[in-house]
Amino acid sequence: MTMPSARSKGSLPLQINQGSATHRSLQGLGLAVLVGLAFMGSMTNSFQVGLLTQALIYASAIAGLNLVTGYTGMLSIGHSAFFGIGAYTTGILVSEHNWNPLLTFIVSFLICFVFGLIVGLPALRIRGINLALVTLALAVAFPELIDRFPGLTGGTLGLNVNLTQLLPPHWTGIGIQNRFEYYYWIAAVVLALVLVLCSNLTRGRTGLAMRATRDRETAATAVGINLAWIKVYTFGISAAITGVAGSAFAMYLGSLSADSSFTLILSITLITGLVIGGVATVVGPIVGGLAVIYIPHWTEGLRQGQTEGLFFGTILIILMFVMPDGLMGLLKRMSRFVVQIKPRAPEGPSAASEELLVGSDLNANPDSEGKGDTTLALS
Amino acid sequence: MQVFLEYLFAGISNGAIYAALALAIVMVFRGTGTINFAQGEMALFTTYIAWGLTTKNVPVVLCLLVATAAGFVLGAVTERVFIRPIERKSLLATLIVLLGLFLALNSLDGILWGNQNYTMPSLFPNSVSSFVSVGGARLYWANLGLWIVVAVLVGAMFQLFNHTRLGLHMRATASNRESAALSGIPVGRILMLGWGFSAAVGAIAGILFTPLSPDALGLGEMFPILIQASAAALFGGLDSPGGAVAAGLLMGIVEALLSGYVPAIGGQLQEAIAFVAIVLVLLVRPQGLFGSKEVERV
Repeated sequence: MTMPSARSKGSLPLQINQGSATHRSLQGLGLAVLVGLAFMGSMTNSFQVGLLTQALIYASAIAGLNLVTGYTGMLSIGHSAFFGIGAYTTGILVSEHNWNPLLTFIVSFLICFVFGLIVGLPALRIRGINLALVTLALAVAFPELIDRFPGLTGGTLGLNVNLTQLLPPHWTGIGIQNRFEYYYWIAAVVLALVLVLCSNLTRGRTGLAMRATRDRETAATAVGINLAWIKVYTFGISAAITGVAGSAFAMYLGSLSADSSFTLILSITLITGLVIGGVATVVGPIVGGLAVIYIPHWTEGLRQGQTEGLFFGTILIILMFVMPDGLMGLLKRMSRFVVQIKPRAPEGPSAASEELLVGSDLNANPDSEGKGDTTLALS
Repeated sequence: MQVFLEYLFAGISNGAIYAALALAIVMVFRGTGTINFAQGEMALFTTYIAWGLTTKNVPVVLCLLVATAAGFVLGAVTERVFIRPIERKSLLATLIVLLGLFLALNSLDGILWGNQNYTMPSLFPNSVSSFVSVGGARLYWANLGLWIVVAVLVGAMFQLFNHTRLGLHMRATASNRESAALSGIPVGRILMLGWGFSAAVGAIAGILFTPLSPDALGLGEMFPILIQASAAALFGGLDSPGGAVAAGLLMGIVEALLSGYVPAIGGQLQEAIAFVAIVLVLLVRPQGLFGSKEVERV
């Protein structure tokens, strides 16, 4: 396809058609940069690799939370529980039943999906503030429940997985002394899969239904969206994703203790990461994951724990005031001054027969559509 | 009988605190339509202030007054600075700000006063022998004093709601903010006052409750109470002060009797029980026992 928008050639913002060669190669470039960064991350020293692994795991968990809170607008303060359920699923299956750790990820996904559906059920009748309260209580109750069943979970003493069961398999060629590199790549692959899943989910019909549910429930019902299904389904998928992140966390850490790892503070950390990175963006969770791991690491010298809490709390408040869209939201808005992606013409059933004609027609004269449409579709 | 009475007394004391905090939650909810997650942490902050003053040999009564005033200011400032600019954006934004406040206040407590637990001196005689015997059970003055103060406090709040001009304004604002504003009520100031009163009630509750057991003043003290109080507020109906107080008392008593007689679920699983209670109430009767049904205009 030739450059259709000759008018804006050379002047900012550049206009690029969605799906055009330029757009595709830009996307490919972005992907290559991400893969390159991932490789660079694995080359750093083992301490840095450990930190990065945690950041990637948190990014996956935040991506899960993003579906419920970012796209569908239901504040969940209970995702620490799903993270914990995933972690304990892996921990128990590996240490008690000698499972291959990687296989437990699938079980975590399924179990957390079911738990998510169950927690999503009250969401059908309970909205806004009450849902926040239910999930808050879930976050608080989870460590208590873990401690209550020491036979299964190790209780307050914690659950330790034998290191030999978590070693990298031979085909990876990673030795025991470099095993953190192995966990790093697991976290990276999990995150990549999670992001692909989230981006597919949120770009399609489901994503539109989620956003409509968030923005105006009554109107969403009026256009035929099944609110009940969307809410419960989103909660299920979201919990499943966060649960898989928990599984990766269990592998990385090797020992689990609900009172220190899976408390309300974790939930607030995930929410903070989500808000820092950018609510309802695909890449936001990566930024958020890096932020919630590296900020405490950098401020460590001051006074552990409390300073971190004060910092996160303050940042959460300030961000809601000055940058409610987070870093990615801000970047997205800034980038619109440089590059604008023209959305593809919608392919309705009536247009399907003359798809070629309509498609090329609209693409050829994007200027006549006016900028209003572009920004609307992008926002 | 004696054992039962002792459980009952403990239950009424806890229940009175739940009731006071639930009342505070309801006051905020009626004005702003959110649950103040930071309610417990505000109470903890002011309790620390009171404790800090007692270490400087200030009489406890004076500490109570200072902390209550501090609570009032804290609540009012929170409403004006943090909540009002954000609440028209979305409920989600408001809740996230309150979560941030929760975390920041708790961490600030830790930075200012450290991680260790302290024993808060009581307003009332609080030695081993300062009790009256009721049916063989010991009723300590600290408990009795707490009941009386909470009863007076709750009575005063109801008096305020129902029989003063300010209370009328508060009720009008709660029932319809726009209409209230149109009829000349300074809605902003009323909301600020509501948050202030609510935080002051929390402050008093914290100072009364903490001395009941030694080493009770710690960073994690108020959060479980907030969970129970929120459950009580939901149970009674988030917009019904009377319901919140009744449900708070009921929860305290039931919880004490349960943990006394059914050791398998009491004690260790308090928060889990509160969680189940919250979910059940919301599923069966989302408006609570005495609350009014939410009606949405399309």
